[in-house]
Amino acid sequence: MDSDRRRDSRSWDWDSPQCRAQVDEIFFRRHDYIQAGSTEHKEFWTFFDRFQRFKIKKDVSESGAKEDIEDRRKTGTGKVDLGLPKEYDARYRINVSVCTRDVEERLGKSEHRGRQRSSGPGSHEISDCRLTLLHFLDFSQRQSFGKLAKLRREQKSLPIFQYRDRIVELVRLNPVVVVAGDTGCGKSTQVPQYLLSAGFNHIACTQPRRIACISLAKRVSFESLNQYGSKVGYQIRFETTRTPSTKLLFLTEGLLLRQIQQDKTLSQYQVLIVDEVHERHLHCDFLLGVLRSLLADHPDLRLILMSATINIKLFSDYFNSAPVLQVPGRLFPIQVIYQPIPPDEQASRLEKLDPRPYLRVLQGIDQRYPPEERGDLLLFLSGVAEISTIQEACQVYATHTRRWIVLPLHSTLSLVQQDKVFDTSPPGVRKCIISTNIAETSVTIDGVRFVVDSGKVKEMSFDPKAKMQRLQEFWISRASSEQRKGRAGRTGPGVCYRLYAESDYDAFAPYPVPEIHRVALDSLILQMKSMCLGDPLSFVFIDPPPTASIQTAVTYLKEQGALDSRAELTSIGTLLAQLPVDVVIGKMLVLGSLFNLVDPVLTVAAALSVQSPFLRSSQHNPDCATARQPLQSNHGDPFTLLNTFNAWVEVKGERGGGSRKWCRRRGLEEQRLYEMVNLRRQFKDLLRSHGLLESQSSAPSGGDRGQRRERLTERKKLHQLKRDHEKQESSRRKVLRLDEGQDGEFSSGSDAEGAGRGKKDKEGAGQNMDIQEVKFKLRHNVSELQEAASVSQDMSSRQQALLKLLLCRGLFPQLALPDEHNSTRKDSDQVFHTRNKQGVVIHPTSVFASDPEVLQVPEDATREMGPERRDSTRHQLLAFVTLLETNKPYLSNCVRVPALQALLLVANSVDSNADCTRLVVDGWLELELREPDEALKVLSTALTLRAEWERLLLAQLGQSTMAGAEVQRVSRKVLEKLSEGLVRFLLYTEITYSLRRLTAFQTQNLYIGPQSQSEPSHTKDVNPLFPGVEAKPDPIKGGLRVSGFFNYNCLVDSKDLYSECLRSFWTCPNCDLYMPLTPLERMQHEASCRPAGEQQQPEEEPEGGKAASSSMSSLTRVYHCDVCNEDLTLTSTEILKHKRQHMYSAK
Amino acid sequence: MEQTTIEQKTFACQLCGLSSPFTYYGQKPPNTRAIVLLEECFVTQDPFSPDKEKFLVLGSTCSLCSMCVCVGSDCSLFYTKRFCMQCVNKHLDQFPHQIQAELAKKKHSSKAAVS
Repeated sequence: MDSDRRRDSRSWDWDSPQCRAQVDEIFFRRHDYIQAGSTEHKEFWTFFDRFQRFKIKKDVSESGAKEDIEDRRKTGTGKVDLGLPKEYDARYRINVSVCTRDVEERLGKSEHRGRQRSSGPGSHEISDCRLTLLHFLDFSQRQSFGKLAKLRREQKSLPIFQYRDRIVELVRLNPVVVVAGDTGCGKSTQVPQYLLSAGFNHIACTQPRRIACISLAKRVSFESLNQYGSKVGYQIRFETTRTPSTKLLFLTEGLLLRQIQQDKTLSQYQVLIVDEVHERHLHCDFLLGVLRSLLADHPDLRLILMSATINIKLFSDYFNSAPVLQVPGRLFPIQVIYQPIPPDEQASRLEKLDPRPYLRVLQGIDQRYPPEERGDLLLFLSGVAEISTIQEACQVYATHTRRWIVLPLHSTLSLVQQDKVFDTSPPGVRKCIISTNIAETSVTIDGVRFVVDSGKVKEMSFDPKAKMQRLQEFWISRASSEQRKGRAGRTGPGVCYRLYAESDYDAFAPYPVPEIHRVALDSLILQMKSMCLGDPLSFVFIDPPPTASIQTAVTYLKEQGALDSRAELTSIGTLLAQLPVDVVIGKMLVLGSLFNLVDPVLTVAAALSVQSPFLRSSQHNPDCATARQPLQSNHGDPFTLLNTFNAWVEVKGERGGGSRKWCRRRGLEEQRLYEMVNLRRQFKDLLRSHGLLESQSSAPSGGDRGQRRERLTERKKLHQLKRDHEKQESSRRKVLRLDEGQDGEFSSGSDAEGAGRGKKDKEGAGQNMDIQEVKFKLRHNVSELQEAASVSQDMSSRQQALLKLLLCRGLFPQLALPDEHNSTRKDSDQVFHTRNKQGVVIHPTSVFASDPEVLQVPEDATREMGPERRDSTRHQLLAFVTLLETNKPYLSNCVRVPALQALLLVANSVDSNADCTRLVVDGWLELELREPDEALKVLSTALTLRAEWERLLLAQLGQSTMAGAEVQRVSRKVLEKLSEGLVRFLLYTEITYSLRRLTAFQTQNLYIGPQSQSEPSHTKDVNPLFPGVEAKPDPIKGGLRVSGFFNYNCLVDSKDLYSECLRSFWTCPNCDLYMPLTPLERMQHEASCRPAGEQQQPEEEPEGGKAASSSMSSLTRVYHCDVCNEDLTLTSTEILKHKRQHMYSAK
Repeated sequence: MEQTTIEQKTFACQLCGLSSPFTYYGQKPPNTRAIVLLEECFVTQDPFSPDKEKFLVLGSTCSLCSMCVCVGSDCSLFYTKRFCMQCVNKHLDQFPHQIQAELAKKKHSSKAAVS
């Protein structure tokens, strides 16, 4: 009331909020078209101010011009009279009217009655406001229509537009159509829209990259006027905008393959578009193969392949001469200048790149083109090291001339740094973007006018012999060369400098080598097996991979236990095929689900599946190094990652958005941690859906209703934040500072990064919440994560040992042996050997690179046993995730494990001599144990543990296949006992041995080979007590196959051949047996003899036995028993058993 | 809610060919309260506004020749009524000089752009 009275005394003032509020009461009520408080409402008042100013100006200038009109009017009267008003008024040009009469009247009446008659807007004010509102409405209509018209104009101007009807017709008439068009023709955005508007529903369009799925979905939904609906959506690994009303879905090739795995007919789609087929990614080639066979059974399905104009015939031919529609691209003319690097500036293999040829191009541009003519430079180099060399040199030049901003672009940069290439440079300054081939296809930067092409690319290849990936530098193909050139002509005419001769260009390969010819095919083969596509060798690929490559993969999968000896999927293999990860990571997950170690294993598996969160650039920053210190674990990199993730979750729980700063201080890319947490969640869901993890028992943990409501409101708020973010995202490009590139990013990038991001932080500190944080909160339950994190943070050394073993078994056979002379070498020269590759080194990012001592056998624990033999109880091996050769072969993500213990528990084959003092593991590692007695003991413990582990794992997997049904879980007690046993074996086995790698020559004469007269003395006393496996002579190595992995006495030994028959007295620790036994007899007794009070579970025995005998049926032969006078089909061991039976009965 | 797909009706300008689906034809689009259109219009939901209640006028028919035209300034003009550009040019003399000047200026500048 008080305020009312005060208002009374004033006259009408448009600037007063009170006056405006009164007008709002008339025009912008709660149900009106524009409501007070909305964005439009705010815009209206801004418009109002501008409009009033404009009117005043206009009134002044137009006051004299009025009479003029009257004169001209007369001339028009001859023909039809349009009946237009005599006097011009801009109001007549607006086709909208606003009726507020009713409100005005009501207000008028109420104010008559009220005391404040003189206050409130008069009719003049109201009509002023109404007029402005009309103009405002007209203005916003024009604005929106302008956008629509522009959009349609752009669509029309695309080269592909004139083929619109032709495309739709071809798709109607043919099951497969190839649309080939070069960059800028508009195929990716337009073809799906043409099909949509032609009435096709349920269209899927695959992309090789996740980013493209998101950006295309955004663009196409905008263009199809559905940016706020969900008609067009995308689906990538962790995110989807798909709803039941989605008609067009962009998704990755990998994801579509997974969908086919689930639904063989792919009935959810009517049309499939496979985009960028010319890029020949592994998944894409495979997808085409799968679709090819799928089409045969589904004549209604439509397939469209979209490609650049590269090798089109290949695709058309593969699909039964499918029709091809070729669309010209829209490129501006590009001048090509060949500037081969003179011989004295060519770097040899080991030298740094000479920057002079590159600097000359920058200088040339500065001389030839005035700075006002805008246009940036994109420079293609092969790798990160090359980029930083050239960046350094260019930066010096840029600082000097002040006409360039130098920016690197490669995938190991932080995302913020990557994003800078899209920002604009200030006038008179050009961007010089130095990039890997990431800018060739994956990243498109507008405004590039100059391209410098080094002609080189680093490409991953796979060496099946060394089981090693290799990143090597190659000349690019002509197709890539053209693609790089094309980047200069996207927005205007351009220039492409090729730093090689035209004759070099002519000698380039026409196309890049397809991925399927370059990479390990393990995952592919596994997926093929699970999709029942038959023999991979006979599958019709568009361009079949080398046979050797497939065979290597099959062998590897067998070693991994994913395929059995007949190359069929094992039960673990079936499961691994469902997991969208590397086989080794998948194995870890499955193994982890058995023991009570799911949380840490989930985290490690996720961490090993994404790029490292540790930024390379921060590695040499002492502050980061110090801050990282507490996260590091000298057990191995996976443990460091685990610590990092857990600490991050801790921080997120306590400080929420503060985690960004926390990460920055440690030189961590937080995006990777977000990826980890998402992936971790996905893994957890996968394990749960395969019955390997109990479904959450704590369903509504959200407590009482109030808390739940609170969480609901919070979620609502978060969703709103997410939407707001999406809205403003597009208008975010900022102008770069001239000193942007030179903050020393090339030397110690973290400072620059810190500074740059710090600024952004401050800007957005208040309301502008970190969008990643919002998504994180929407997706995850922080307290649940925290709980999981604290569980794995407080891991005991026993749990840690067990986790190590699981990782090791997952990673097996990826093991490396430290070179025996490492202790005499410098830290940086430590050498390791894998089975297939000698002389590998640890990647500098690994914890073992900075702390190699923990891998060495401590001096005091060794005993020199002559020149070639060092005995110790402490030998260690490294299990590693990747072996990648760049300039050297590097191991990354390593864990150290006790050698003998780990080998006996995970190796595929352990071969022994007669007294088991000499063991050869997987044909490449030799262990010599000092004490035969200890040797026997450790072996038989390992045998027992492994048998039990295998049994429980199978039981667990068996359960998962029967998910849903009432199945008995592997009992907790049994599991605990096993893990206890494994841990004790790992930590407390004290046995002295030597460890070395066998030379090629030694491996040749390793085995005694099959014995011609199968000595019955060997097998006579064999009592096949190892569950599921029967001892029998090994047909290749000789000796006796005691269990799936252990082969007794097959090694050619310098010692006498009879020690296997030697019996020595021995007391069983479990029962009271005391008698002379051969080594084998003793082991067998140990395997069967359990401590008193702990009986074997008899019910499980027959199952395993049956499975084993059935799988061994191929080994049986017909045996005629004289006693029974019958023909029996038996294995050789069974024959022996049978004979013995008669012996006993005769007694 | 998404519109359910009952055969979408499409508006197309007979002069420039611009086409877009429309959801309403008339003078009173839904949810516009006090707002009334002064001509019968082809109306759609404004695709550029997150607010589903905002409308967008695509076009209407010329009050003289009944040709279907979009509201773009190259195709039609509203001055108390809708006129397609052809009719405007035919009867240019009857339009106030402000409009004539404006059109002349536009013609001039578009010619300049072409040459």
